[in-house]
Amino acid sequence: MQKHTPMVKYHPDARFLTDYAAGCLPASQALCVATHLHYCPLCRLKIGELTELGAELFMQQQPVKVEKAALEKLLARIQASPQSPISPVQAEPSVSILPKAVNKLTSGNLERLNWRRIGSNFRVSRLNVGDKQRETSLFCIKAGGHVPHHQHKGDEITVILKGSFSDHEDKYEVGDFIVRTNGETHKPVASQDQDCLCLSTLDAPIVLSNWLLRFGLYLFNLGTPSHQTAA
Amino acid sequence: MRTGSLKAMDYESDDQQPAAPSDERGQYWVICLEKVASTQDVKAFRELFEHFSPMIKSFAYKIPGLEQAEPFAEELLQETMLKVWTKAASFDARLASPSTWIFTIARNMRIDLLRKQARHVINNVQLYQDGDDDEIALDDIWFEDENSDVFNQLAMQRSRKQIHESLKLLPIEQTEVLSKVYLEDKSHAEVAAELKLPLGTVKSRVRLALNKLKLVVDR
Ligand SMILES: [Zn+2]
Repeated sequence: MQKHTPMVKYHPDARFLTDYAAGCLPASQALCVATHLHYCPLCRLKIGELTELGAELFMQQQPVKVEKAALEKLLARIQASPQSPISPVQAEPSVSILPKAVNKLTSGNLERLNWRRIGSNFRVSRLNVGDKQRETSLFCIKAGGHVPHHQHKGDEITVILKGSFSDHEDKYEVGDFIVRTNGETHKPVASQDQDCLCLSTLDAPIVLSNWLLRFGLYLFNLGTPSHQTAA
Repeated sequence: MRTGSLKAMDYESDDQQPAAPSDERGQYWVICLEKVASTQDVKAFRELFEHFSPMIKSFAYKIPGLEQAEPFAEELLQETMLKVWTKAASFDARLASPSTWIFTIARNMRIDLLRKQARHVINNVQLYQDGDDDEIALDDIWFEDENSDVFNQLAMQRSRKQIHESLKLLPIEQTEVLSKVYLEDKSHAEVAAELKLPLGTVKSRVRLALNKLKLVVDR
């Protein structure tokens, strides 16, 4: 985890942090929180506390009787398998500046991903996080470029991985966790000096077969598959 | 998959340690874990098992409406304690207390088992399966050993004491929401739906509770 990072300004609220620490946040949103944690020591501290709270509630549960056979069964399994306790794996120093989870999803190589271009300044690649209710993707806005004006049909979380973007409200930097709710419109513009890479997850209540088409319709309100006709 | 209500459970009556505050006996479990790690000490592991397994089983039964609750609880117990055995060497007392470490393993294992069940159901009805092979591993999203920084640990020990002492002073509706979120695997949104409350009410109950527990969240 990175210890020295630029100031992160936008954080997940108590709801996201608590659901994450409890393990009940949907996987795609949990990925966004985990990504933010990579950049944010303050939220790591909060998650530490919220995990302590979980452990305390866990230990205060009404105990449930465990049959004696359960331990014998486990010890037999342990003896049968050649593996004794494994020594801790020394974490390799990360070469990439991207969070571990994002690296895993992209196999450390962004160019290997299946990118879909939308317009000249914008490309998007879907990630599989095992969450069928949401669309999770990486998107990249070219320096100075903007995302076509769009309206959200569901809640959307965005975490910035590289670069920065601005909308009518503020400028957002690496690590910022930005939530947009249903019905809000905004028009992010990447800063001039570098491309902006983001992780995002969008509530998608309807399941259609062609995700790419659906994503286009959702996010950019294209109306028809040909984006020339978009407003 | 999740239908009906909680199955009846029988509670341990004998050979259960008195409900000691988790951090008072914490040092003892640190020693046990270190013995398991360094000499594969079965006796120390047996003690850990006897202390923590009734909690792991209880944690499994908290999932509402599982059809196969008993096998699920059995599997969660076996897999969690197997991980405690194999990963004991990666336990670091500077980063977490034994109960926090074991809770984290049980939490991740429970998500994993539930996810496998859900995937099983989904594959059976052939819903939607593009690129499922690329799916990310759970441990990459919910870390088992990376979510604490060493320098935070003093603060963490203080808050654990604080939590232990203040938890019993919370109003019932706040404790209820907290235990649904943490133990019953229900997100804020799901708790709101279940209790027929606006999401905002659930959020504010959690906030009030965290505030009373004097956690830094939301400060
Ligand atoms: Zn933060």
